[in-house]
Amino acid sequence: MAVAGILFGCRKLPFVGETSSADPTIRQFQDEVRLAITKAKEGLDLVRVQAPGALSLPDASRDNRFGMAIDLDACDGCGKCILACSLENNVPLVTAEEAAKGRFMHWIDMHEAAPFMCAHCENAPCEKVCPTGAANHTPDGLSAMTYKRCAGSRFCGTNCPLQARKFNYNDSRKLGLSHQFNAEVPPREKGVMEKCSMCIHRLQEDRARYKTSSAAAAVVSGVPVEPWRGRGVKTACAESCPKNAIVFGNWLDEKSPLVEATRNRQLYAPRQLAKFGPSIVYMMGRR
Amino acid sequence: MKFLVLIFGVVFAFFLGDFLWSQRSTETRNGIVDFIENDKIPFDHKMHGDSLGLDCAACHTGARSGSRALMPSKTDCMDCHRLPLTENEGIEKLDSALKEIPEHPWKIVGKLPEHVFFHHGVHAAAGVTCADCHGRKEGTGNAGYLSNSYGGEKFDMMSCIKCHRGESFRDRNFKKAATYCAACHR
Repeated sequence: MAVAGILFGCRKLPFVGETSSADPTIRQFQDEVRLAITKAKEGLDLVRVQAPGALSLPDASRDNRFGMAIDLDACDGCGKCILACSLENNVPLVTAEEAAKGRFMHWIDMHEAAPFMCAHCENAPCEKVCPTGAANHTPDGLSAMTYKRCAGSRFCGTNCPLQARKFNYNDSRKLGLSHQFNAEVPPREKGVMEKCSMCIHRLQEDRARYKTSSAAAAVVSGVPVEPWRGRGVKTACAESCPKNAIVFGNWLDEKSPLVEATRNRQLYAPRQLAKFGPSIVYMMGRR
Repeated sequence: MKFLVLIFGVVFAFFLGDFLWSQRSTETRNGIVDFIENDKIPFDHKMHGDSLGLDCAACHTGARSGSRALMPSKTDCMDCHRLPLTENEGIEKLDSALKEIPEHPWKIVGKLPEHVFFHHGVHAAAGVTCADCHGRKEGTGNAGYLSNSYGGEKFDMMSCIKCHRGESFRDRNFKKAATYCAACHR
């Protein structure tokens, strides 16, 4: 039986709760975010950390390390980032039974009125235990997921101290729990782990656009242009924040809004994550 | 001993079952171009491309700058064909055919799997020509447009990754490209 369990895992298990086959509306997503805020998880211990520097991984880029800083002095926990993230990344709803238990698919979790998502750690503990290599690191400092490689072992979710990874127990498309708002992001299948991607599709799009236009500019001017630094890109959560509490940018780029915003601020990270070198940190107080 | 064999047998049976009846991977999508009015306008790639010297991106908008190469609309054809271009008697036949065809005579049928990110512009900017990937028949060195053979190319991840690793197109001296998953997958 144990062998059967390992081989087939939970792919064959029945889902929890009742659903309708109707396409969910934006209002349902809004209601779910409101519910998620009332069921916020308990607060996390924050410890001081240094500003993230260049990655120490092999093949790491010397120009880019993308990350975010979340200003806890400005954030009032309104949850607009969660909704924006869900619509941008086609994050599915959950059934009423699961919602009652506080199990949501949202990539951003509220921990006592502060948003916490995957911190894209430099030495990510989740990537070390992935048996298929689906969880891997990009040279730009993103902890990426290759969904088609994911076999659903859920080791990564267990090894993440923040529990930032969410598992697709249901085929949410069949159950009428997901709606593809954004054609750029593929909906995840049943039996696949998902998490914050730091809006990787926006970065990919911008990199390709920059490389194309810069190659043309280099031919015209005869001078090689600067490497891509991801300037002007914003994640969905950073874009949606009414208080501008979430700042996205490049830790290695002096002109990045992220570096400017964190210059005179004290940086914090959850205690459990601090030793793994998170790329997403929290700001509180002036230095 | 019997117990060990039994366990091994059960495990092996599960692996065999997984191999035989497991979920298939996503099929390779290919770039077949469907000609709706194929019999009305036998478009000649060789004449437009080689004899007239038109760039592919002149009709396939976005091939050099965008993420996708698009198919021309009837208006794009009429930009040139509004005037009688040659004394050739075929032109009259073409004019009458052009009047009848719909606004979008061609459409793209195949498309990339949604978890793959491919940008035409980046590849063109890196010096890859259209004919490197499109229309080339196996075994012949000719570009596809010379023999008017287009469509039906089978692209899979192996053909991408071979070039990205620098294993194929050795004669072209392309720069090696990124091979980490998230460069092309999302």
